[in-house]
Parts: sequence; C-alpha cells; structure tokens
Amino acid sequence: MNTFSVTAKTKHATNQRMDIYKRTNMHKIHLASLLLLGGLLLSISAQAALPAYKLTIKDGRFEPETITVPARTRFKLVITNQGPGPEEFESKKLRKESVIAEGVTRSIVFAPLKPGRYRFFGEFHPDTAEGHIVAK
Amino acid sequence: MGSTVFIVWRESIEAMLVIGILYTWLKNQADTGNGMHFLWGGVLAGIALALGLAFIMLEVQSELAGEALEYFQIAIMLIAAVLITQMVLWMRRHGRTLKHNLETGMQRAHEQANWWGMAALAAIAVGREGAETVIFLYGAGLAQSGSAQLQFIAAAISGFVLAFLSFWLLSQGSRFFSWKVFFRFSEILLLLLAAALLVDGVDRMIGLGWLPALVDPVWDSSFLLDDSTRLGGIIATFTGYRAHPALMLLLIYAAYWLVVSFLLRQPAELRSRPA
Repeated sequence: MNTFSVTAKTKHATNQRMDIYKRTNMHKIHLASLLLLGGLLLSISAQAALPAYKLTIKDGRFEPETITVPARTRFKLVITNQGPGPEEFESKKLRKESVIAEGVTRSIVFAPLKPGRYRFFGEFHPDTAEGHIVAK
Repeated sequence: MGSTVFIVWRESIEAMLVIGILYTWLKNQADTGNGMHFLWGGVLAGIALALGLAFIMLEVQSELAGEALEYFQIAIMLIAAVLITQMVLWMRRHGRTLKHNLETGMQRAHEQANWWGMAALAAIAVGREGAETVIFLYGAGLAQSGSAQLQFIAAAISGFVLAFLSFWLLSQGSRFFSWKVFFRFSEILLLLLAAALLVDGVDRMIGLGWLPALVDPVWDSSFLLDDSTRLGGIIATFTGYRAHPALMLLLIYAAYWLVVSFLLRQPAELRSRPA
C-alpha cells in the first residue's frame, strides 16, 4: 500500500515535470520561430536595401568590364544576359558560379569583400568574356 | 568549336566517372541482383532532374526564385559529397561479394537503403551538371544557324564521346592492372570528388556570408596554379583545389579527410557484424 502511493506520487510528480518541460519547450519553439521569422524579414528587407550593380552580357562580353563596389559591404549584382546564347558567370575568388540563359536576369548576393581586385569570367566564352570587381 | 568540345566534356565527365565506376563495380559482383535497376533508374531520374532544373533556370526571373536555386545547388553538392563517401565505404565493405551478411532483416533493410543511396547518387551526378549542359546545348545551339549549327552539334557529340572515352580508358585499367588496384584508384578518385563537392558547397556558403571565412585568403598560390584557367578549373573540380582558400575551407577540408581516413581504417568485418 505504502509502496503504491509512493509510486503514484512519483508518477504524479513526473507528470507535472513533463508538463513543465513541454510548456517550456513549447515556449522555446515559439521563441525560436519568432526569432527565425524576424531574421527572415530582416534579411529580406536588408536585401531589398542592398546596393545593386548592373552587369550585362552581350556577344560574349561583359558590360561594364570593371565594377567598383564599396569594400566590406554586402551588395548584389544584377546580371542580364542579352545573348546570343547562355553564359556562365564564374569566379572562384568571388566564390560564385551561375549559369544564365539568354534573356534571363538574375541577381547574385555577395558577402562583404576585402579591398582588392577580383576577376570573373564567362565560362562559355572564356576567350572574350572577362571582368573585374574592384572593392574599395 | 574546340571550346564547345571542351565544355561538353567537362560538364559530362563527372557524371560518366561516377556512373562508370558504379557500373564497373556492379558488373564485377558475383550476384548483382536488382543493383543495375537502381543504377539505371537513378540515371533516368537524373535526366528528368536535369531537364526540370534547366527549365527552371530558363524561366526563373524573380529574385527569390534565383536565390532558392542557389540554395538548392549548395544542398545538392553537400548531399552528393555525403552519398559518394557513403558509397565508397559501402563498396569497400562488400569487396566482390554482395550476397553474404544478409541474414537478418535489419541488415537487409540497411542494404536496401544503400541501393536507394546509389540510385540517388546516380540521379544527382547526372542532374547537377546535366542541367547546365542542357542550357548550354539548347541555348548555344539555337543561337547558331546553318553550317555553324551543324558544326556545333558535331562538336557537342565529340565532347560526349570524349567524356565516355575518358571513362572507358579508366575502366580498361581493370584489365591491365588487378581489380584491386583499379578499385583502389576508383576509390581515391571518388573520395577526391566528394571532397571537391564539399569544398564547392562550403565555398559558396562563405560567399553568401553564411559561414565566416576566418582568414581570407590564407595563401595565394595563383602564380603556381590559377584555379580560373582551364587546367586549374579541372583540378579544382576533381580535388577541391583553390588558389585563394579561406581558413574555414581548409579546416573543413582537413576535417573531411580525418573523418574519412578514420572510417576507412575501421576493419570492415567489425562494422558489418552485430556486436
């Protein structure tokens, strides 16, 4: 009898603890999702405000061939391929690779760059398509 | 012309190598069972994936969709790196006999998972670079007309044939050398490729600002081998070489080889048998 009530008590206590755990966990999940949502909204609004630079691909060449951007600042490149044919924007130094079909406009976001000169090239026209991003 | 041959060769060699090695391995098994179905099923799924991805790349204009595509590509690279590594471990565990060690249901379920892994790997190997090949062939082919277009088609076919020949040469290695030597060589090739895919994925994440570069760059070896030249690009694709590596990249590359060499060193018998 005694043993039984002790077990029941322990059970009750465990249930209560489980309840608290559940509630705190729920709380944590809510908080985490709020933070995530906030972060997402922030990053979207931050992106909308990102400085943007235009780059056009035409006849196997980039225009302009030198783009000057502020150093240590996130920015985006809005690339339009006017053709003819597709092009692959590539730069190992900038850590980007993106195939852009003819007639397509695509924007690429760049993490802050240290001051310097970064070469990029068009992989489908390696002899002519070349350019630099200069971070100042 | 020469450039077209090279681009098609480069875009298809990776898939040919992965599928070629899996195929050669399966063919050398005493009993392949449904293995070939999984492999070719994966290849078919890969072609569908390539066409689907190419369609998205052609149609995608909105900024959000463009970003989603980039995230998807990063995820696919990392998944491919894991699948290749897992496949090498699995193939090594089996050696030449697939049939043994299938007594319990759990082991059979584990085997089944590995077959699906093989199918997924074949699909990703074809789909990943295949999408770019489709865009290139479709776009660049349409941009030309008349005899130039015929020349382009001939060049594209030559690129595929060259990629296939490259693999065929490799597979002939199993005749000149022993199966064991050939298989060891294939393992190294696959693990290097997995490491290169990991490097590519990590590098893109650094480029997006998701991972800190820590020290960037640690060195500049572009005077020795520039990774933006053709040769440097191929070496980068198959080893993960970078002329301006960030410290984060070097740490992850080193960690990968540490983990892999640890997993390879564990005796196969111990791992496949329940304690």
